[in-house]
Amino acid sequence: MAEEARQEIKADQKINLEGLLCPIPVVRVSQAVKNLAVGGILEATATDPGVLADIPAWARSTGNEVIAMNRDGKIITFFVKRLK
Amino acid sequence: METITVEEQNKTALAREMMEKLVDRRVLTALEVCVRCGTCAESCHYYQSDPKTEHTPYYRAEQVRRVYRQFMDPVGQAFPGWFGAKPTTDEALSRLAEIAFSSCTLCHRCTFECPFGVETAEIMRVMRSVATACGYGPEMLVEIANAAIAKEENADLFRDIFLDQVKELEKEVQDKLGSSEARIPVNQKGARLLYVPLAGAHTIVPQAIIFNIARESWTLSMFDTANYAVFLGDITKAKRIAQRIIKEAEALEVQEVIITECGHGYTAMRWDAPKWFGHPLPFKVRNIIEVIDDYIRDGVLPVNPATNGEPVTYHDSCNLGRKGGLLEEPRRVLRAVVGDFREMTPNRLHSYCCGGGSGLVAVPEWKDIRMQAGKLKADQIRQTGAKTVVTSCDNCRFQIGELSQYYDLGVEVTSVSELTAKALV
Ligand code: SF4
Ligand code: SF4
Repeated sequence: MAEEARQEIKADQKINLEGLLCPIPVVRVSQAVKNLAVGGILEATATDPGVLADIPAWARSTGNEVIAMNRDGKIITFFVKRLK
Repeated sequence: METITVEEQNKTALAREMMEKLVDRRVLTALEVCVRCGTCAESCHYYQSDPKTEHTPYYRAEQVRRVYRQFMDPVGQAFPGWFGAKPTTDEALSRLAEIAFSSCTLCHRCTFECPFGVETAEIMRVMRSVATACGYGPEMLVEIANAAIAKEENADLFRDIFLDQVKELEKEVQDKLGSSEARIPVNQKGARLLYVPLAGAHTIVPQAIIFNIARESWTLSMFDTANYAVFLGDITKAKRIAQRIIKEAEALEVQEVIITECGHGYTAMRWDAPKWFGHPLPFKVRNIIEVIDDYIRDGVLPVNPATNGEPVTYHDSCNLGRKGGLLEEPRRVLRAVVGDFREMTPNRLHSYCCGGGSGLVAVPEWKDIRMQAGKLKADQIRQTGAKTVVTSCDNCRFQIGELSQYYDLGVEVTSVSELTAKALV
């Protein structure tokens, strides 16, 4: 994801998941998304590469959407939109 | 007289049906033989950390016994008041679910202290299944189990993400070993071992270093070993999650499936899966610690214990140790790869649960319960004077990391594989 595109996404909440291992990033994202209004966007940063597949899989099974995911060295940044 | 809604009636019928199905001879024995002697109270970490009647194994089991008698025992059905059995309402089921999920980590320690070997954990496991079927399973555990199934259903979508990730990690392994020959093989038909990690790099990179140095014939699984449906007592989903790995192992024609340091993932594949499917699996299942132990015995890993000079202690994961029988293997490896190994007391079969087992770490609302139930473990860690706690389970790892912050223990938490890899490079 280009830096410009990332900057265009306006997150309603940001969380830091760096250093956390599976399944805790999923747990924290789920908790944070539930606190957003429908349509709200969560931005998260993580270091566990497991999130690359785990977050999209969680989003798919809960009916939410990962709108962008970007990796910069060890830091993975992603945006989740609450759909319902 | 209590009013019971139609929805409650349906749930009650389902709860009865599930109990009829799940109460086998083993559970029935556990339900029937308890003489309420109280010997088991001290064996439970919940009771040790906060000595209240509600925290005794027999109190918990008694709540389920009442429901069982209401449903299955002819005398209980005819005269529910005799046993204190109450109609199974929404409130009652919800309370039972809370007991089964948050106030028992299914650690089995009480069974070893009970003169009759009553398996309170098996009673609680049945209650978890009943609660999940009736819609009382903790939402977060359900979400994690469903995400594992979504990964399998959309395997094509996740394959590329996974392969990209493996390429990155392979580079890391090559850098650490100073060799561009080092590999993380995926989809290698005919490899001797299929290694099943967790989602994180800490369960791939150290093990890849070890396999490369040992010149093992191995291949990395596309899936991870976590199976949260086990915690829910949802066997249908647990089978689906396990089936992903079984199919992969069969397609690759491997001789052994090696499970990473994950307590429930190991017991699920080694002990539960053959029971769920009704036949032995067509390959051997072992834990990565057993493989490392063999390598060290055979002299194929040139480990240097001086690399890990700080005092180290080991926490026995209940699944791997008491339930899985891996008690000496991790200790043999640790004695070979660390300079100062110190036992925690009590240990092995008598080790206390860390307080985070059986899915508790994944439910944020239960953090206070976990911290209190883990106090005993925190005290034991402190007494060793260790700077590093090794444990072979990611749930224990997270819980002990949080206990360290909460009780100011100042310890690092790591795994047997990570310390072994550190002693190699
Ligand atoms: S020790 Fe065994 S028999 Fe005694 S109260 Fe506990 S479970 Fe029941
Ligand atoms: S299985 Fe463990 S947590 Fe559950 S009652 Fe027994 S000792 Fe306590």
